Order: sequence, then C-alpha cells, then structure tokens
Amino acid sequence: MAALFENTKCECGHQNPPDTTLCESCGKPLGEEALSNRPLEMRYDGVARRSQKANPNLIDRIWNFFSSVKVSVVLIVITLIGAMLGTIYPQENTFINFDPAYYEENYGLAGKIYYALGLSHTYESWWFITLLVMIGASLVICSLDRVLPLYRALNKQQIRKHLQFLTRQRVTYAADLEGGDEEWTRKLAEQLRKKRFRVAAEQTALLAEKNRFSRWGPYINHIGLIIFLLAVLARAIPGWQLDEYVAVREGEAVPIPETNYYVKNIDFEVEYYSDDEMPDRLKGTMRPKRFETKAELYVCEANCGSTALEPVLRKVKTHDILVNDPLEYKGLKLYQFDYDTTPRLKAVRPVLMDLKSGESYGPFELSILEPESEYELGPYRLKLITRFLDFTVNANGEPANLSSQPNAPAFLFLIQGPDLPAEGETFFYFPIQTDRERFGQDLINGEMAERFDIRVTDMANVEFAGDVSYLNVRVDRALPFVFVGAFISLIGLVMGFYWQHRRVWLRIDDGRLTLGAHTNKNWYGLRAEVAAALRGAGLDVDPKSLDNGGKKE
Amino acid sequence: MNWLSISSGAFITAFALYCVAFLLYVIAVIGRKWKNREPEGHLRKWGRIAFVFSSLGLAAHLVFFFTRWAGAGHIPTSNMYEFLTLLGMAIMIAFTILFAIYRSPLLGMFALPLTVLIIAYAAVFPQEVQPLVPSLQSNWLRLHVTGAALGEAFFAVGFAAGLMYLLRVTDYNDKSASARRSQRWLEFSLYVLIVVAGFIITVFAFRGAGYEASFVQENLSIDARGNEQLTTQTVEYQLPPIVKPHDSEPVSVQPFLGLDRPLFEAPGWMNGVNAGRKLNTVIWSVISGTILYGLLRLLARKPLGAAIHPLLDGIDPDDLDEISYRAIAIGFPIFTLGGLIFAMIWAEQAWGRFWGWDPKEVWALITWLFYSAYLHLRLSRGWHGLKSSWLSVIGFLIVMFTLIGVNLIIAGLHSYAGV
Amino acid sequence: MKGRERKIIQYVILIGILLLGGYAVGKTLFVSDDDKPKIGGRPPSFENVADIEGNLHSLDDYKGKPVVINFWGSFCPPCVAEMPAIDRQYLKYRDQGLVVLAINLSEDDITVRDFLKRFDLHYTILRDKNRMIEKKYALRSYPTTFFISRDGRIQDIKVGGMTEEDIEQRILKLMEA
Repeated sequence: MAALFENTKCECGHQNPPDTTLCESCGKPLGEEALSNRPLEMRYDGVARRSQKANPNLIDRIWNFFSSVKVSVVLIVITLIGAMLGTIYPQENTFINFDPAYYEENYGLAGKIYYALGLSHTYESWWFITLLVMIGASLVICSLDRVLPLYRALNKQQIRKHLQFLTRQRVTYAADLEGGDEEWTRKLAEQLRKKRFRVAAEQTALLAEKNRFSRWGPYINHIGLIIFLLAVLARAIPGWQLDEYVAVREGEAVPIPETNYYVKNIDFEVEYYSDDEMPDRLKGTMRPKRFETKAELYVCEANCGSTALEPVLRKVKTHDILVNDPLEYKGLKLYQFDYDTTPRLKAVRPVLMDLKSGESYGPFELSILEPESEYELGPYRLKLITRFLDFTVNANGEPANLSSQPNAPAFLFLIQGPDLPAEGETFFYFPIQTDRERFGQDLINGEMAERFDIRVTDMANVEFAGDVSYLNVRVDRALPFVFVGAFISLIGLVMGFYWQHRRVWLRIDDGRLTLGAHTNKNWYGLRAEVAAALRGAGLDVDPKSLDNGGKKE
Repeated sequence: MNWLSISSGAFITAFALYCVAFLLYVIAVIGRKWKNREPEGHLRKWGRIAFVFSSLGLAAHLVFFFTRWAGAGHIPTSNMYEFLTLLGMAIMIAFTILFAIYRSPLLGMFALPLTVLIIAYAAVFPQEVQPLVPSLQSNWLRLHVTGAALGEAFFAVGFAAGLMYLLRVTDYNDKSASARRSQRWLEFSLYVLIVVAGFIITVFAFRGAGYEASFVQENLSIDARGNEQLTTQTVEYQLPPIVKPHDSEPVSVQPFLGLDRPLFEAPGWMNGVNAGRKLNTVIWSVISGTILYGLLRLLARKPLGAAIHPLLDGIDPDDLDEISYRAIAIGFPIFTLGGLIFAMIWAEQAWGRFWGWDPKEVWALITWLFYSAYLHLRLSRGWHGLKSSWLSVIGFLIVMFTLIGVNLIIAGLHSYAGV
Repeated sequence: MKGRERKIIQYVILIGILLLGGYAVGKTLFVSDDDKPKIGGRPPSFENVADIEGNLHSLDDYKGKPVVINFWGSFCPPCVAEMPAIDRQYLKYRDQGLVVLAINLSEDDITVRDFLKRFDLHYTILRDKNRMIEKKYALRSYPTTFFISRDGRIQDIKVGGMTEEDIEQRILKLMEA
C-alpha cells in the first residue's frame, strides 16, 4: 500500500508528498514505480494526484466515483444507447395534438410497451436528464481532480533529471559523444530551438518544451460543455424561454400569447418554382421557392388581454419574415413557419334574380362575417334571419354550425315583396357552389327556388380573405450562452488535438549523452522530430530506434 | 458554358482516376514481393505514382463539385446524391492529408476503394439538380454539410486504418475460441462491405436493363374532419419484386428469370408507402452480396480476411493504430464544428430552435458521443490496438447509419429522397 | 491543496450539482402545468370581458360568491344540449347567490346573437375573443365547466357535457361548500 512508504525523501534531497511516483525535483522513480522496468507512467508527471485516505467517507466515495474516467465512459455509452432508443418511434413532441393511443394504434404491442416505458418522451424523461446531470458532474469533478495537479506539475519543472527518469521514457536515446560537453549542449539546444522548442539550459542539461498550452485543451473543452449544459438548464428560468405558434391572416393583428405583443400580417407572398426550374420528376408539384410575411410588431399598452375592449397598440418593428430570416425585437423572434393559402370567402356580391320576370336586382354586398340585416333590392326586401358559418345538419335534423370557422357559409333570408305573403318567405343561400349542391339548396327552398335565385354572376364579385401565415414565436435568453459554451468547447478540442505538448530532456555527463522525451499524443511525430534534431546536430538516428516500447506485443 | 455537362464529365473522370489509383496502390503493395525488386523502393515509387493519380482524381472531383455549383446556382449538398459525392470527395481530402503525414501507400489501398464505394452508392440516387426549398437557402447550410462531411471523412479513413489493423493482426493460424471469434467478426465486416457493393451492382444492372415494375397501394385514412379518405399511391420498383408493398396490387411487373409476380408481401407493421420497396431492395442487396461473397471466397479458397492478411505483412500494426487514432482525432473537432455547432446555428435560424431531438440530430449526437467515448478510452493503454480498431469500425457504422439509415428508415425534417 | 480546503470545495461542488441536478430532474417528474387551473387551485382571472349587451365583467366582480364558469360554442352539440338544464338549475339557486358565467368560444356577434335567440337563458353570457380566456384555462375539449366555491378555489372541473342530475349534484356541492 502506498501509505506505507512514509519516507518520501528522494536521494536528490527533495521531500515529496506521499504517493508521488516520480520525484518532483529530479524525476527519479519512487515507490512502486522504482521496482518496475517498464516505461514510466508519466501522467501528471508522477505528482501525487489525490490524497488517498484509508477509509474514504461517503463524500470521498461519491467524488471518486465521478472522478473516474471509466465511469464517465460508461455514462456516455448509456446516454448514447438511451438516445438511440428515442429514435425508434416518433417522439411525443413531434405532434401538435398528441394522442397517447398513437403508439399502440400504429405499432401494436411494441408501440404500447414503448409508450409505457416512457420512451415516447425519451429526451424529457427523468432518467435521461439524470444521465446528463451525471455527465455534468463527471465533467466538473474529473477536470478539477486533474487540472490542478497538472498545473502544479508543469509549473515547477526541473531541468536536470535523474538518469533513470530519462532512460525509462518512451522515447529515449543514449550515446557517447566526441567533443566538449558544453559544445554539444549548445549544438543540441540550437537544433531544438530550430524546431520551435523553448529551451532552458542548466550547464550541460537541457529541457526543451513546446505547446504546453495544448495540455489545457481538454479542460477548456470540459468548461465549454459545462457552460453549455448550464445554459440549457437556464432555459427553465421563467421568461427565458417561449415557444408558441400564431396564425395571422393578411390584414389582421393577433396577440402573441404570454407576452404583451401583437403581430400584424400586412401581406403574405408565396412564390413557387416554375416548371422549367424543376426536373421532370418534380414538374407539376407545387414546390415553394420562397414565402414571406411582411409583418409589423406592436406593443400593447392598454387593454391587453381584454376580450371586449380594443387594445391600445404601438408599432415597434417592421420586417419581412422569411424562413431563415426572423423578425427580431428585444429577444423576441418571429419565424416564418408555414402558411395556408386555401381560399376562404370574405364577401360575395350576388344579385337577386326574379326568375319569372327575368329581372335581376343588385349586386348587393354580402359580407360573410358581418352581413347587413336587411337589403332593399328593387321591389323586394331581403331580411337576414340567421347566418351559419359552417353549415351542417345535426343529429336532430336541425341546421347547425359544425365549427366556428367559415368553411361552409349559409344565409337564411326572408324575402318580402310583391306576390309574396306579408310575413315573407324564407330562402336559403349557399354562396359556395359545392355547398349549394351538397345541401340541396333548391330542394330546401322548394317552390321559392323556382321563383328566385341568388347568385354571383361574375368572379370579380367574389372577395377572398387573405392568406394565413403561421409564425413561430420564440424567446431564448439562454441561447447566447449555449453557443458560447459550444465554441469554448470547440476551442478546447482544437487546442488539445491539433497541437501536442512535447518535452525533451537531456544531459551530457562526461561525454555521455542521455536523452528522454515525452508527449501526450502523437509519439510518431515526436520520434521524427527528435531524430531530426539529433541528425541536425550530427547524430544519425532512425526514429524507430528511439522507441522504448510501452506497447503490448 | 454548360456547367452541368462539364460536371458530369468531371465526375466520370474522377471515378476512373480513383479506380486507376486503386490499382496502382495494389501494385505498389503486392509488387513488393515480386522478383527482382527492392521492396521499400518499389513501394515508395509506385506509392508516389498512385498518389499522383489519386490527387488528380481529387482534382477532377473538385471540378465536378464547383461546376455543379455553378450550374445549379446553389451549393451541391442538398440531396442524397450530392451529399454522398461530397463525402467521397472529403474522404479523398482526408486521405491526402493523412498520406502527407504518414506516407503510407497501404492506406491508399484501403481508402480508395472506400471512396469508390461511396461514390458508386451515391450514383444510385436521383442525380438531377433540384431547386432548394426555402429552408435550405442559407450560408450555414454550406458550412454545416461540408463540415459534417469532412469530419465524417476523417472517421472513414480512421475506419479504413482500423480495418487494416484488424486484418494485419488477426492470426488466422490461431484456432482458439477467442481467435476464431475475432476472425468471424472480421469476416462479417468484410461481408457487409460486399453486400453494399452487391447492392450497387444490382441496382445498376437492373437500371441498365431498364427494369420496371409498379404497384398500386390503397390507403384508407381519416382526415382532420373525421371523413374517410381513400388515397391510392403508386410505388415504382427498379428491382424485380421479391417482396411487394403491403396490401397492394401489381400494375405491371416485368418478368425476371421466369418470375412475373412477387413472392411475398411486406408486413403491415412496416410503415410508409415505400416500405415494401425498401425491404425488397435490402433483400436483393443481401442476395447479390452473398453471391458475390461466395464467388470471392471460392476464388480465394479461404476466408477473405485470411486472403488479405498477407498483403499487410511488413507494416507495423502500431503505425496503423496510430493512423487510425490520428485520423479520428483530427476529424473529431471538425465534426463537432460542422456536424453539431453549425447545425445548431442553422437550426436556430431556420426552425427557431437549435436542437429539437430530431432523429438526424440525435444520431449526430450519438456519433459524437461514441467518438468521445473512443477518445476517452484511448487514455488507457489497454484500449489501444485491437479494441480501438473495433471501435473505429463500429463508429463508422454509426456514421453510415446517421447518413443513410435515418434518412431511409426514420422520417423527420431532415429527410432526403431514396431508392 | 490542503485537506480542509479540498473538503470545502468538494462539499460546495457536490451540493451545487445536487441542487441544479435535482431541479433539472424534478422538472421532468412534475410536468409543469403551473398555469393550468387545477382542482384546489385558483381560477385564472379575466377582466373586462363583454356580455351580449356590451357590459364589462371581471372575475373579481364575483368574489365571495359560488361561480360556475361554462365554456360553450354554438358548433358544439353537447355544449348546446346542456344549456337549458344549466339554466333551470341557475334559476333554482340564483337567489342564494349562485353565479353562472357562460363564456362563448370566440364566435362572432351574429352567430352568438342568432344562437341565443333560440333559447331563453337567464344566466350571464360572456364573449371570449381570439381564444384568450380559453387558452388561459388550458381547455382541451368542449364543453368544459369549472365550479368555483365561495372561497375562490376551484372545487371541480368537468370536461364534457353534463346531464341535468350531474349539474344539480355539482351545484348542490358548490352551494354547500
């Protein structure tokens, strides 16, 4: 047990903390490391990383658990498997109106089990979030546990290292030299400087180091990921996140839920690819080239949320909203999401035709939503008894509305005038031809159908309501932090992978050169570089020969 | 200047040059054993010649890419064909970079057929230039797709090197249970690659012969108003139907080998109108791949892995391990940037949310997590070599699933068209 | 790093992770429908809502009284079916202070006016606009009726149409609370 080695004083005179495996001063292998012949374990330069207690208490045990790289790998693997499961069937959040029966209906027993296990909302489930929390904990604790000893170790490096330290590096070289020690030291230092090493010399010993910053890469990466995760969590702060959809018809203004804003659709345009712009396979399909909403954003200053009083609005922003180009105002963003150009009637201007006399009266303005209660047409008077927006015949055989949307408008008029009873006769009018046929307008009107007709004579007398634009309204105050975290993480990755921290130690003792070199990555490159430097000084070395093993054969 | 026709010409040129380069790499590697040759010198000389050809191929490929861009008016990355050709090009770029570092012609012998396979697979998909829907008109698109492709290309080269390591290290003379297990898994991996090749050959063969069959499928659905809607959809097959779509009737079926009607029907639990056609394609791929594998096995008279093993003699497996790791280490930040970060920026811009747990996004994350696990495991010396190589193979499988499986099997905002 | 400093840092970090992590996981377990009205909770308030004569009403106007809020639309058959029964019960308990507010689901003037001509309803009809009140009350289907006791808390929520016995029983419970 490491704790038994109480005498931690190295032969060079330096007192090392317990569990140091390489002397902090001269690098001589200590303790168990001294007994082996294998290449040195150079992690953290042999510095004591953790004070091991005889009986770790609960806190220590939890800490050690999260500090383990093996545990972090297990967590990563479980998370990725869990994520895979969530892609088997579409998740709940892909539906606007989610129906729990969906999975069993479409996928049978497998679907039923999927839903029961909660896999239908995998990424919002407690176990998935727990995994992410644990990964976050691992990120923090792994990094803290390692970066501080590493910093300590790299900050106070000794130049002249013990011979055993040098000969047991993974890259090592020894040779007898002809000529003066100082001369050789100078020559080698020059060669190493040419390779952009920072060389520190101490008489006839050298430490050449470069790209130390690369060692901090992984820790910066972890910091970035921590910021990213915290930013994602921050979205739960009230007011920091909003995700709503609004449908605005041209010419109308609608309130944006959970805010004091209103958005008005001034004009909606959609442009389709012409057939010549499309390959044969797609000709005839309506592929949208571009669709945009000219929108205005208003702040409501009074009577907001009131259903009866008109809200007092003040315009704050105008913008053409395109799919990749939202309207942005004080953190509020309006994205073009979808549209509906299904034609909907706004008003018609029909004429009243007296079929017997052949006269027609009008046209008169019949707004679908706000018709007049009475129309004077020649000798006749048309009184509006009732209007249906979405006509249907209900279970009791009575006329009723199917919905509150004007999908199938119908008007019940009372016609009064010459050759008609004093109390008038009823007349049903369906402006849309298919409704007229579907509901048998002529049948309903009976004899009146032979006397009168109301119809639109010219398409110019039909007015359609504007297109509907669907906008996605979002607020995401945490978003900048999300990207900051992501970029910091990327910088850490680049630092860590595209550069390597290399160190070369050498000492010349009475014509005997002993060299050892270490890197955290890319031994191939290090060997090549050291060999090139030696060659430059006049020592012909093959890179492969520098390899001191450390691999399993 | 008809950009698109130049583009097609450049594509064929690149394809041809890649094939030539591959053969040259094979000569470089195999020719070491020929009489009257100094192995090292031969390898280096022919390796250099092969590299010239592969670079010329890459140049032609770049011409294809940019002329198509000019001709289409938008960057050619928006459908399956375009993306896969981009991936092939990126693999060549990644290979060129790794060759410049490690100078290993042996790597070329594996990386080039991988590129050729991917490009040939690309050609299976519809090739015409399609105009972009509004959500694809963005600068971030260019960065995201190219970045992801380049990152994945490095993972692909890492896979090639990993495969080489396995072929180099697997001892076919060892008859112990664990050795036999690794021999069999290696053989299975090679078999899967051959099935992909089989798929491509089959599709082109029947396409060349002009084969067609079509089925009509009726779908009863209930619309939002509660009304029943009967829709009829036609499914076009380019391969003889072994399996017909669920609940469908043939409209016309060209006979093949005396068969003029399908043998089976796709099960109902397979979703989507094209499920039957896709299942049919998979079945054909497996059949043709198995036949191809059988022929190769007969020629070699031993497991294919054992046949390739001697070619890798003389290379230090540690170097292969190093190349594989280095490729993945270079690719990982690129993939993080292109595949995840740019994707998040683009998604935020186009759809108003930077991450929606869309299957494609999730699988990109799975890829990232997997390689992250790989890189962490490499901190432990015990995971170098054999285990790393297997991980690089699995990782590449995950990459391929993200590109192809998600698009073809799982639907979402991200889908491309299919065969 | 000295032992004691180290311990403090460990504690701080683990507690931080516990709090943040607990919050994150807790959110998933208690799906936040904070704004959604629940039995025992308070009904979302509304102000200055017009009735059919144009007078304005706010929910606070009826503080201290038992209130039935019924959401209805002319296009919703079960809503229509229960209206006469609601009216009868209303008349029974009107003198004891019962308030019935029937909020129409954002239909237009003509539709509501024409519809009401067919019935003789004595309780207050209020007009929602742009589905604002409907969204506040997180309605999933129609009709939905909220029973609010004198102390201002939701005693009961009924989703779907009610029979006359149903209505009577619930109103009785409301009056006795």
